[in-house]
Amino acid sequence: MITMESSFEQKIADLQEEEILTLVRRELESGIDPIEILNACQKGMELVGERFSTGIYFISDLMMAGEIFRQISSILSPKLGGKSISKRGKVVFGTVKGDIHDIGKDLVVGILRSVGYEVKDLGVDVPSERFMEAVRETGATVLGLSCLLTVAFDSMKETVKALEVAGLRSKVRIMIGGGPVNEKVCKYTGADGWGNNPQAAVNLCKEWIA
Amino acid sequence: MNGDNEKLYQERLDLIKKAIHVEPVDRIPVIYMGDAFSPRYMGMKLSQYVSDPEAPVDVTVAAMDRIGGFDGINLAGVGRRSAGFGLGRMKMPGRELPEDSVWQVEEIEIMKPEDYDTIIEKGYPVFLSEALPRAIKDMEAFQANMAWMVANAGRKLQDYRNHGYVIISGFGMGVPLELFAGARSTPQFFYDLYRRPDKVKAAMDATMPTLIQMTIMITKMSPVLGSWIGGFRGAPPFLSPKLWDKFFFPYLLQMVEALVENDIVPILHFDQCWDRELSRLRELPAKKCVLNPDGMTDLRKFKEVVGDHMSIMGDVPSTLFAIGTPEEIRNYVRDLVRDIGPQGLLLAPGCDAPVNTKPENMKAFVAAAHEFGKV
Repeated sequence: MITMESSFEQKIADLQEEEILTLVRRELESGIDPIEILNACQKGMELVGERFSTGIYFISDLMMAGEIFRQISSILSPKLGGKSISKRGKVVFGTVKGDIHDIGKDLVVGILRSVGYEVKDLGVDVPSERFMEAVRETGATVLGLSCLLTVAFDSMKETVKALEVAGLRSKVRIMIGGGPVNEKVCKYTGADGWGNNPQAAVNLCKEWIA
Repeated sequence: MNGDNEKLYQERLDLIKKAIHVEPVDRIPVIYMGDAFSPRYMGMKLSQYVSDPEAPVDVTVAAMDRIGGFDGINLAGVGRRSAGFGLGRMKMPGRELPEDSVWQVEEIEIMKPEDYDTIIEKGYPVFLSEALPRAIKDMEAFQANMAWMVANAGRKLQDYRNHGYVIISGFGMGVPLELFAGARSTPQFFYDLYRRPDKVKAAMDATMPTLIQMTIMITKMSPVLGSWIGGFRGAPPFLSPKLWDKFFFPYLLQMVEALVENDIVPILHFDQCWDRELSRLRELPAKKCVLNPDGMTDLRKFKEVVGDHMSIMGDVPSTLFAIGTPEEIRNYVRDLVRDIGPQGLLLAPGCDAPVNTKPENMKAFVAAAHEFGKV
């Protein structure tokens, strides 16, 4: 078991796409529990995150890792038979109204999922009402708002305000991210935290979801 | 042309050239860029701005005149707006977006993996002719705009000079990485760097001569000093040093050297943080290039590492224009001049003053630039 785990972990961490996909298929055929494989792959993604944090990996490496994990998940999903691995917590995520950019949003959503968070992705150009509905429906304790355009700052602010008015603000921590986002924008929008890379989102989730 | 404006133009041209080549100046030039801000400020709907070929120049010149105090413009757009940089498909105000929304690039896979083979075997122009109809929804309108550009772009851009303004740069083709990332979509392109690196490299090599030739041709046709080289997906936060060294820098160097040989100023319009690779900028020809950062590169570090090897055009952040105060803008410009200027500095918005720039912030920028920019 230890050998299998470390093999998965290393191959994902080293972004060996073909090798890891072959290994996943082979281990599944040999009867290994898909949940165990998924857990092992998540450890590999944690290692990818560490490499990003220490300056060994960059955004393109994270994207490749996310793509590898996505493929592994699609191989394993039909084999899970309704079983699910334990989740670290629920997150609602989307690009705010007036902005259709999805690269940053997709990357963060993929990385959060790969390290065990259950993420409801609302897509792009999302109005505040949809964020509120999703927070209510899922019971998510973290809300992620993404943008690339500065005009989206007001949409973020409106969303935070709408959550306050609806009495949901105290139930959810809000993180914002995207190219122009910084501490000043965080204060302007009334969010709780901000980041300009996927690992920052992972770190905020780890901090906020015990 | 008004004789006073021509005299003003010549004085400003001389000042800007000195700043670009890091020579002593008696004041720091003040450069405008507010692509979507200009129509918003002048009360024009963005749907009209993108569809009327005369509008980009008319409304930008009018905004510059109304605000006052500018010496030139960074990148001057002309004609109707169509396919995005690197063949990205665009969503337009009044078409897919509300009338007064900013145009946005829709990242979809216009270029397929097999297109690398087309480029390698048949050349970039063949690929471009095949791919354009995939990116452009209305080819007829696109071709009409191209015809308009050929007939009118030079005449229209002359309006800047008629008003005394210098155009720093025209649109350039840049480096292959940015074109491929735009056409493949960013995620797919990054996967390509792992899945088929040799093919990507061969396609880049095959593309480069055309890009250089097209950039020089377009620039020589326009009344501009330089040409933009974009650094977006090629920015260091996106790529490891190994990938950056292989897929970005060699092409940047080739393009810069070709432009300099042709007396065209390379304008390195680099978004994101370039701190990691600042020392590499010293490998580019001395005092011939302009770094045009967006507020995320540490310019104090730039000064230490690059020194007077290259000038800076920037870099008041878009965020500050949108949600900052006039006092914050003033302080930013003051500190920038103190730490980076006066020699080799052109004061300008970092990247671009966004559509929701507060007019009082743009006015504060110009006022501060004149207050602190005197030498």
